[in-house]
Amino acid sequence: MTPPAEVVHWMFATGFLFLGLCLLAETIVGREVWRRRSWRKYLWPGTAFLMGLLMWPVMVFFTSSAIHMLAHGVWAQTMMLAGAAQLALVRGKLRNPLWELTLPLALAVSGGAFLIHEQNPWLFSRAAFLHHALGWTALVGAVITLGLFARPRSPVFNTGFALVFLAFATLLFCDRNVAPIFGHLSPLAGAK
Amino acid sequence: MKARAIAAAALVALALPTTALAHANLLERTPTYGSRLAVSPHAVSLRFDQGVDVFKDSIDVRSATGKVVTAGPAHAIDDKLIATVPLERLPKGAYTVRWHVTSNEGHVLYGVYTFGVRVVPPPPTKAYGAAGPTAFEYVVKWGYFLGLALLVGGLAFRLLVVGKRATPAVERRFYIVAALGVVGAIELGILGFLLTARDAFQLPLSRLVYGDLSPLAQGTRFGTAFIAMTLGFALVGTIVFLAWLTDRPVLLWPAFACGLIICSGLSLSGHSAVDVGSTWRSELADWVHLCAACIWIGGLVQLAFVVWPAAPTLRRDAFLRFSQLAAAVVGLMVLAGLYLAYVRLPQLSDLWNFHYGRILLLKSSLVVLALSWGALHHFVVRPRLLRGRGASSRALSRSLLGESAVAMAILLVVAVLVDANPPPRPAPQPTGAVPVARAPR
Repeated sequence: MTPPAEVVHWMFATGFLFLGLCLLAETIVGREVWRRRSWRKYLWPGTAFLMGLLMWPVMVFFTSSAIHMLAHGVWAQTMMLAGAAQLALVRGKLRNPLWELTLPLALAVSGGAFLIHEQNPWLFSRAAFLHHALGWTALVGAVITLGLFARPRSPVFNTGFALVFLAFATLLFCDRNVAPIFGHLSPLAGAK
Repeated sequence: MKARAIAAAALVALALPTTALAHANLLERTPTYGSRLAVSPHAVSLRFDQGVDVFKDSIDVRSATGKVVTAGPAHAIDDKLIATVPLERLPKGAYTVRWHVTSNEGHVLYGVYTFGVRVVPPPPTKAYGAAGPTAFEYVVKWGYFLGLALLVGGLAFRLLVVGKRATPAVERRFYIVAALGVVGAIELGILGFLLTARDAFQLPLSRLVYGDLSPLAQGTRFGTAFIAMTLGFALVGTIVFLAWLTDRPVLLWPAFACGLIICSGLSLSGHSAVDVGSTWRSELADWVHLCAACIWIGGLVQLAFVVWPAAPTLRRDAFLRFSQLAAAVVGLMVLAGLYLAYVRLPQLSDLWNFHYGRILLLKSSLVVLALSWGALHHFVVRPRLLRGRGASSRALSRSLLGESAVAMAILLVVAVLVDANPPPRPAPQPTGAVPVARAPR
């Protein structure tokens, strides 16, 4: 009774697209302009937190293997942690800037979960390729957010941070349950 | 130049395929999981989405008494997409299928499920050969109950005892304890689920990662409770977080209500719901018992670890109000507990003749100790506090910590009790189910 995995991936791709566009808009117009409407500062952290919350049903209903269940649980928790810390920081409930490090932590752990739970090589199928690409993108994102922690005003790091989520969205929208990647599809993955 | 070389090396590393291996997914089981067949099946077949290597012992099918009922070796058909094993003619009864296959690239997959011939089969947790729980599982379950108590009892204490008198220090500590409760319950709930799956699969955790958990998650009351409670905890955690973020303690009311509802997951999947003789009354009594215990123990922890060290000015009021709340919830807890003991142990001698009864005796002894401690607080300390004395006493602080420790010890005994089997009761009418043997622990 669960929807196909690709449909769930597209739903989350929509969330990442929105998140990335918000961050890109903030980078283009500048933080001061973006935050003239006070609700805007809660927009991307709130979206990340909500996406984490919505990941829990994915975790408990997609239990075809324990490692998939655990990976979805990791993503749910890291997104909620990063979103919650950012919400609390912009709200002023948390003041220690070290809480910003929850972002690189969340991206690093998420990337690790992607790479560990995908057991097939890059060109096994499109889904395998995307999992590898998503994992490495998240790890690159972790490095970018570390840079952002050191230089919060840097346009390069801010743009890079937004592009990480746009890359997530693109990769997730490309997902199909059984599809080739660059003409490759392993017979084990369903190629006839 | 050096930087370019590092970048080039990184690109090459990214482009190389990983050495990780492919793994197949199980698409279909024949007979299906949980099916009640009218006639004996000829074979057990498993269809995968990728080709698999099948060995002659890849599919093991056993009766409820452990007798092997396969009529030949397992083998692969249909381009190795199906693993199958022929069966003897099966008499009426429940059967357990344990399988393992290797994907063409070397990955081993595992699974377990049950079906019945003219009977309803047991869940995988009660399949032939399922074992456990272990001491580690008891500790995990204890932590889970403690998390539930910290969350539900903490919310009750914050709303019904502290109310609008909360100081910033109390508020901060309360949210830390509540967050510990939510996170602990979620993490330990997941771990407990995996440990139960390990018991059913009879595999170490390291090899369980490619186990198909769907029969356990979606075909048992335990799995349904896991799904509902995990989602519930995520929701409660979100509401508590929003209450903290927006400084709106009123949001804690819906969180408390959700917490009470979550408790029903345990009542609807435990002894009170599945054992012979269970009724809606036993489920309701179990839920009341659990909620009352959570409010009592969680409240006690809040009093000892939150109010006492963080708000000396609030001690007297909090103690007096909690004393009233505790009297009410402990009364409910004892009444519901007595009813459940009556339902599960029809004979008084069951208390010492059965393992379950002996654990219940131990739990009751600890409860009596905790209640005596509470009575001392209620009848000796409370009047002194009403006269304005003793709120700063170190002895009282230590006494509260001691009572909290006893309450937490009770939860450990409860963790053992919920996995023990109550004395068997005759079924009111034949259900067609057959008793399922369990491997010796």
